[in-house]
Amino acid sequence: MLKKLLGSILICLFLSIGCNQEEPVTRVDLSKKEQLGRKEEANLITYAYLPQYSHTVSYHRHHMLVEYLRKETGLNIRQVFPETFNKHMEMVGLGKVDISYSNPFVYVKIANRYNARAFVRVVESYGRENFRGQIICRADNRLINQISDCRGKRWIAVSPYSGGGYLYPLGHFITHGLKRTDFSVVDFAPGPGALQEKVVLAVYAGKYDIGTIREGTLNLVADRIDIKKIRVIANTSWYPGWVYAARADMEPEIVEKIKKAFLKLDYNQNDHKLILETADIIGIISSEDQDFDPVRELIAHVGISLQE
Amino acid sequence: MKLKFHSRIYLGIFFPLLLLGVVNFFMVTMIMKDALLEENRNRGISIGINLAARVTEPVLAMDFFRMKALVDKTIGLSDDIYYTFVLDTKGEPLVHTFQDGFPVDLKAVNIVSDNQDYNIRVLDTGSELIYDYAFPVIIDNDLLGTVRLGLLRTKVQEAINRVMLSAFLSTGMVIFFAGFVGTVLARPITGRIKILHESSEQVMRGKLDSKTSPVLKKNCWEIMNCGKLGCPAYGNVNHRCWYIAGTLCPNCTEGEYAQKIWSCKNCQVYHKCSGDEIQSLAESFDSMILSLKTHLSELQNAEKTLKEQRQLLRTILDSTPDFVSLQDLQSVYQAVNISFCAIVGKREEDIIGKADFDLFFEDMAEKNLRENLEIIKTGKPLKNQEEIPTSEGKKWFHVVKIPVHDPDGNVIGILWSGRDITEFKEIQTRLVLFQKMESIGQLAAGVAHEINTPLGIIMGYAQLLLEEVPQGGEAYDGLKTIERQSKICRRIVADLLRFSRHTESTESITTSLDVNQSIEEVVSVVEHTYKLDRVEIEKDYYPNLPTFRGDKEKIRQVFVNLLNNAFYAIGTDGTIRIKTSFDNENDEIVISVADTGIGIPLEKIDRIFAPFYTTKPVGEGTGLGLSITFGILQEHGGRIEVESPPSSVWDIEGKDAKGTVFIIHLPFSKDREIKEEIIDGQNISIR
Repeated sequence: MLKKLLGSILICLFLSIGCNQEEPVTRVDLSKKEQLGRKEEANLITYAYLPQYSHTVSYHRHHMLVEYLRKETGLNIRQVFPETFNKHMEMVGLGKVDISYSNPFVYVKIANRYNARAFVRVVESYGRENFRGQIICRADNRLINQISDCRGKRWIAVSPYSGGGYLYPLGHFITHGLKRTDFSVVDFAPGPGALQEKVVLAVYAGKYDIGTIREGTLNLVADRIDIKKIRVIANTSWYPGWVYAARADMEPEIVEKIKKAFLKLDYNQNDHKLILETADIIGIISSEDQDFDPVRELIAHVGISLQE
Repeated sequence: MKLKFHSRIYLGIFFPLLLLGVVNFFMVTMIMKDALLEENRNRGISIGINLAARVTEPVLAMDFFRMKALVDKTIGLSDDIYYTFVLDTKGEPLVHTFQDGFPVDLKAVNIVSDNQDYNIRVLDTGSELIYDYAFPVIIDNDLLGTVRLGLLRTKVQEAINRVMLSAFLSTGMVIFFAGFVGTVLARPITGRIKILHESSEQVMRGKLDSKTSPVLKKNCWEIMNCGKLGCPAYGNVNHRCWYIAGTLCPNCTEGEYAQKIWSCKNCQVYHKCSGDEIQSLAESFDSMILSLKTHLSELQNAEKTLKEQRQLLRTILDSTPDFVSLQDLQSVYQAVNISFCAIVGKREEDIIGKADFDLFFEDMAEKNLRENLEIIKTGKPLKNQEEIPTSEGKKWFHVVKIPVHDPDGNVIGILWSGRDITEFKEIQTRLVLFQKMESIGQLAAGVAHEINTPLGIIMGYAQLLLEEVPQGGEAYDGLKTIERQSKICRRIVADLLRFSRHTESTESITTSLDVNQSIEEVVSVVEHTYKLDRVEIEKDYYPNLPTFRGDKEKIRQVFVNLLNNAFYAIGTDGTIRIKTSFDNENDEIVISVADTGIGIPLEKIDRIFAPFYTTKPVGEGTGLGLSITFGILQEHGGRIEVESPPSSVWDIEGKDAKGTVFIIHLPFSKDREIKEEIIDGQNISIR
């Protein structure tokens, strides 16, 4: 009886181990190898969003719009993701970006450098074609209550090429008597990508006293930090909003085709509305290069060279 | 064969531990294996998901440098990561970690759809087993590519093997340790139990001197420092004092173990000397042996005494000629003596346990049963004279049956004893016969005495008349007939007188006579007559036979009677053998007269000496011959015996035993008082 019991236990144990054997095995031959080699796609039109946010955010916001353009125009349009503002501008110059979606400051630069030409610009989600920058600090920072309190403080800006995140606030400081040299530290958010968010997080973390961002950024980080602990010290003046520009040597027919597709977007149509809201805009309007002269004037006002 | 105790202890420790160890080993191995595989799987998933998340932006940016850096960094995380690579949406590799080209087979071997978090396949490269993980690179539900991660199964298997080895070694160590501990614990117990077992075997073999309890370092007299040399516990190193009766310790209660143990338990000696259960068992075992030895000795003495008493009682019972038996209430024999065995004709062991129906005839058994039931019922003893059939024939017994009572007065059995009175009965019968003969003798003597005188007158007058009457006449013949018949009557009267011991004797009984000569005188008279009928007389006289003092005529009459009877028994053609001898031992002259006649029937042999008993026809005998012979010999202090047919010692000339032999024993030197009496003018000696 005891032997049978012991035998049964051992058999069950072995069976249980046997039952626990591995899943099916697939035989592969690792000896057959190939070398990597990517083929460039023909007739590819690249679409780049100035990397003020992470690539993921950029993709999220614009992949539906790109898809719309592909369908609407029949063109092989694909979104590409330059790592930095500077890289974005360089890629425009190198012809690697056919359609640049950038802030007015960068547009003025690529227009100046590479003859890029604006053909449409966006209507921001708050219903205006213009946008502005914001100067923020920690809500509990009792030393900074007004612009003048920013003197001698540590300032982190989005990028030297950022409109709302640097150029507009700098113009605002200068207007209020503060020069760049009046700050103890002026740093820019480290790349690549998510530069606006990094500014908010740096101020939130207390690494910097003040930060400058474009309006609307705080909502993007609301799921990561308590934005009530961030206080907006001042908003800058309004300037023209983001703009689509085509590289200089892009065929005008294609530009026109794309422009028509952009202008065709109607916020009142549900499918277009989804595309537009995903891109954090509510409409796209026609634009020309002279729409951005106020920006050129501001650049001149703050003393920035377009050739830098 | 049953297992020994220490083997059972070892098995009791080893087997559960082995079973537990085996189960534990397999369970731990399985769990650890599953855990390791799961952990490995989770690790792979974690690495893969992390890589897929981190590679999203480089994939979007087509930043091959960052992608390459990420996959290289990933493969450097652990040496069991065999490869990592990123595929684009078309399944073409973007970056990988292979040194010399990308293995083509890996592209499509593990496809993950965009609705899966990951997919795992086991790949066999021929030399390695690889867990291949595929993770989708997704953003906004759009599949940007696939991250693949290869983890070596071999490394996991090595970890599993290490775990199995560790589990096996730890289980083995635990079993070994438990076995060692079990051995250390079991050995003293089994050793002491073995000593107990050997001691008990010695006790069973009758050796009551075994000592099983250990010798203590300090004994009671040393602890108490009492110095009481007279105490039975003093100096007794083999037995604890609480087992010994009669100790002199002031704290001890008197009595044996049962009485004193309660007081002893409060004593410091008990606390210091008492051990564990085994020691207590050994000590109590020793004490028990000691007690057993004492009781056994007492028992042996009692048994010896009992045996002696029983033997004495047995001797008494067997020595008595009376038969004795004891029956229980069911009449089953519980005890018998030798005499009873002789009566029944069986051995004692064949009688004990049997009932009357097994030993006696049915009538006898029923009678006994009825008597027993009556005695049991009434409680009264029974006395009786019974004729009981025995192995030697029927015998008369004076029987006593007595009820046997227990201490409460209840009848528990019946004692049946009996005394053989057969001889007494025979003597009683003879006494009656003698009384009868004496009465007849007195009557005959009276009649003869009265007839003798007128008979003498008749015969006298007849002789006178014969002288006066001339011969030849009728009257003469008539007187002659009267005279002749008167003489016959006179002879009959003389016989009657001799029979009644009142006859006259011609010689004094004090005459010294030669028996051989007396026989020869009688033989010479009858020999011629016997020869006419071809009856030979053989004589075998003992030479120098001592003389015998007695009445010669009466002795001669004895021989005449015996020879006449022998001749009559033979009829014709036979032999009469007469032999004389002397019995030195009894100082007796022995005369035998044997014949080859018809013999005496067994049923008549007891009656031949009775007066007037005869087998002869009417007119040929009076039936007084042997009666007179018997009486004459009694007068002379002798006796007569008869055997028919004679035993071999009397066999005549080798013939078959037949006929009859009469043996006469005459005392030779016995002093006898002789009284002489003269009856009717003749001397008759009567003792």
